[in-house]
Amino acid sequence: MTRRFAWLALALASVFLSAGWAGAEEPPTLKADVEAGILPPMAQRLPRVPLVVDISRGDWTIGRYGGELRTLMAKDRDIRMFVVYGYSRLVGYDDKLNLVPDILERVENVDSRIFTFHLRPGHKWSDGQPFTTADFRYYWEDVANNPDLSPFGLPQVLRVRDRGPRFEVLSETAMRFTWDEPNPQFLPALAGPSPLFIYRPAHYLRQFHARYAGLDAANAKAKAAGSRNWAGFHQKKDEQFRFDNPDLPTLEPWINTTPVPSTRFVLVRNPYFHRVDRAGRQLPYIDRVIVSIADDKLIPAKAGAGDVDLQARYLRFDNYTFLKQNASRSQYRVLLWEKGIGSQVALYPNLNVEDPVWRALMRDVRFRRALSLGIDRHEVNEVVFFGLAKESANTVLQRSTLFRPEFRTAWTKFDLKAANALLDAIGLTKRDALGFRLLPDGRKMEIVVDTAGESTEETDVLELVRDSWRKLGIALFSRPSQREVFRKRVYSGKSMMTIWSGLNNGIPTPEMSPQELAPTQQEQLQWPMWGQYYENSHKGGEAPTLPEVQELVTIYDSWRTSTSTAEREKAWLRMLEIHAQQVYTIGIVTRALQPVLVSERLRNVPAEGIYSWDPGSYFGMYHPDTFWLEPREPR
Amino acid sequence: MLRYVVNRVLLMIPTLIAISVIVFTIIQLPPGNYLESYIAELQAQGESVDPQKIAFLRQYYGLDKPLVEQYLRWAGGMLVGDFGYSFEYNLPVTQVVGDRMMLTILVSSFTILFTWAVAFPIGIYSATHQYSWGDYGLSLLGFLGIAIPNFMLALVMLYFANVIFGTSIGGLMGPEFIGKPWTWAKIVSILEHSWIPVVVIGVGGTAGMIRKMRANLLDELQKQYVVTARAKGLPPGKVLRKYPLRMALNFFISDIGSLLPSIISGAEITAVVLSLPTTGPMLLAALKSQDMYLAGSFLMFLAFMIVVGVLVSDLALMALDPRIRLQGGVAR
Repeated sequence: MTRRFAWLALALASVFLSAGWAGAEEPPTLKADVEAGILPPMAQRLPRVPLVVDISRGDWTIGRYGGELRTLMAKDRDIRMFVVYGYSRLVGYDDKLNLVPDILERVENVDSRIFTFHLRPGHKWSDGQPFTTADFRYYWEDVANNPDLSPFGLPQVLRVRDRGPRFEVLSETAMRFTWDEPNPQFLPALAGPSPLFIYRPAHYLRQFHARYAGLDAANAKAKAAGSRNWAGFHQKKDEQFRFDNPDLPTLEPWINTTPVPSTRFVLVRNPYFHRVDRAGRQLPYIDRVIVSIADDKLIPAKAGAGDVDLQARYLRFDNYTFLKQNASRSQYRVLLWEKGIGSQVALYPNLNVEDPVWRALMRDVRFRRALSLGIDRHEVNEVVFFGLAKESANTVLQRSTLFRPEFRTAWTKFDLKAANALLDAIGLTKRDALGFRLLPDGRKMEIVVDTAGESTEETDVLELVRDSWRKLGIALFSRPSQREVFRKRVYSGKSMMTIWSGLNNGIPTPEMSPQELAPTQQEQLQWPMWGQYYENSHKGGEAPTLPEVQELVTIYDSWRTSTSTAEREKAWLRMLEIHAQQVYTIGIVTRALQPVLVSERLRNVPAEGIYSWDPGSYFGMYHPDTFWLEPREPR
Repeated sequence: MLRYVVNRVLLMIPTLIAISVIVFTIIQLPPGNYLESYIAELQAQGESVDPQKIAFLRQYYGLDKPLVEQYLRWAGGMLVGDFGYSFEYNLPVTQVVGDRMMLTILVSSFTILFTWAVAFPIGIYSATHQYSWGDYGLSLLGFLGIAIPNFMLALVMLYFANVIFGTSIGGLMGPEFIGKPWTWAKIVSILEHSWIPVVVIGVGGTAGMIRKMRANLLDELQKQYVVTARAKGLPPGKVLRKYPLRMALNFFISDIGSLLPSIISGAEITAVVLSLPTTGPMLLAALKSQDMYLAGSFLMFLAFMIVVGVLVSDLALMALDPRIRLQGGVAR
């Protein structure tokens, strides 16, 4: 791509088609309201230039209006998933992971430093009020830069070396963000499943804001509603991601109409939604979405009984056979999508472990390589995953353009001889009577692997790893705990090694942040303290001492200030290479599968897909607004 | 008498304070707090969290304050009817519980009535016809009822309803009424749907009640006054109603103490299985996610009900049974 790029193709296509939608049919459920004059006709509800969704996949067809989509969630809070699935974003990923404008009509990007956004003229909130740059100005001036609402300053992604952008409103539909240095994280953050919302429905929120309603009036209103102060109340009313305030106008395809708490949420179509199909008919096709709340352990059973039309969340791979068994009786299909994570299971040696002897070993690359070579991945795959997985190190997936075969195979061949030679070279030659190696201070080599205690899959894998590590003279014990305890033990360095899934984003493009590969967060199980050091801007934690890790930090910084895709790709590849060679995490198998249950009546759900949080927003990338239901056949 | 009641009521205050300290401590015992388990849960699903937002919430919820201060704020609030704030729902606790409390009381009351209506006659029959075929048969059923956990029964019913009738049971009203204001049609719908949970939850209690009724009544039936009354020619039905049955009712009165809290807590696990919109699953979820004010206020309310229930049953026993009134010696 070039240094300056603008997305114009879609906008142009829309202009050619714009003659089309004046005459397009109304969704039947809205017809009565339109005829009664409660709602304006479709042409006036749509932006002047709507987004035309035209998916080129072979099995994709233009749909019919109507129907109710049923799905299950485990908690009231999960209603936020419909902001994820709805996937209405300023810019968003298409199914090839290109960033394309969605709510925005176009974006001009100069050196990832100056971003000019153009809104779609005539775009409206779900309550019919105009969506303009005033809504961005409200966010910028009255939310992000308001000390009561944002006591901790601007969100991290808006800051480059601790400095925020300049924000200018150019017209009612155009605005510009300017940073002094490049900020390549900006657009991906807007396209995320839990995006950075840099706009707010100002016309609705002003009534809660001290600046507009007056401090006393706003506080009185908050107190009357049980909140402590106006800032808390504003925050509560302004949860675009939680999606739990039915009064909050939205830009998503479906509007939540049910306040929490409830056991059944009803979402209805947004009559002002900005997307149309290629026939010029306004999306979404489906009228209503019904979300019922059930215990997460009962969801597979209920799904198998045919209580849902679309379900993937809370279904696990080990439910697959049960779901298949009930498929014909309950009239659904079960698809297997690939999860977007780097490894299904991976071991994380803790380079910040408390014990100084172990710490020195964990930081020795020969030791990590030996451990990796000592795992029979083929056996794990056959025994635990029915041979459906793929033996691999913890790296990006084959679908990613950043994938290189050597990243997958580095130090993953089962080779006990080489592994033993490496361990001998470190000087771990003394053994006890049973043949276990001894640490330099004479203790037996016993590695305790902490698990979060949530899946038997992990313990099954560990069982097999234990057998092969035994042949290296290393004993392995697993220590199941509970999620919070697990995290605490890792952070404090009490845990030696952990087992968890691999990279969260296994399908990156160079435009996405490689922050997972460098120490950036405390949550990183292989170097929690180094991560904390950078997360808290050098306060707390420890600075990394290994030169390769320091290099990762430097490369990550260079990505953050890069201006071209080529530079970003170079940074990514170098980081992946360091990871492959240094084996900071020991990936075991990849290609994890996610069962997706789809009613036989539901159309336009791709048979093969990636089930990924970021990028992808689970279903979001595949346009659930174009899913449609075949009418029920009369019996 | 009055002094006794006043004493008992005053004694409730330190009891409740002690309970509140214990409740708060136990909820705080697992490592971390709500926000940490919230972050952990999101990350387990591969989601990310905005640290800025977490920092705001930590400050707003007061989770950065020392524990003693958090406790005092919660306990002090309860005195003036402020039960705190549910983190999970982003709402004051009272609003979260709202409708659910009503439904829980409804289901529990029905369950209790069902229990009584079934257990009383069967218990009396079993006692008066001891070791008959009827007694054996009903006792067998009773033991089955005690032995099968409620949630198991609920699961089995769910399975058969689905496999045989192809319907899904569960829930407490037609889907069209959920979240809607109370109307006559809604009440009818609830009545239609509530018999399954009532039976499922009631079975265990019924079985227990039958056994207790039978045992207590048997004790009394063998006493000499019964023999005397029979010998004097009183009709058997009248003998039963007038004397031993009344004596046997003591256990039932003292049961009120534990009945009151069960009215509002409902059968948690069964309610989870049947997806009932009652308070049980909510309490369970609150404890799991360390939503401490919701869980804490709930447990406090249960404790309060137990304390009151015990007092009521003690007073009722005293009023009903002169032996207790005179032996205790406190009544003077």
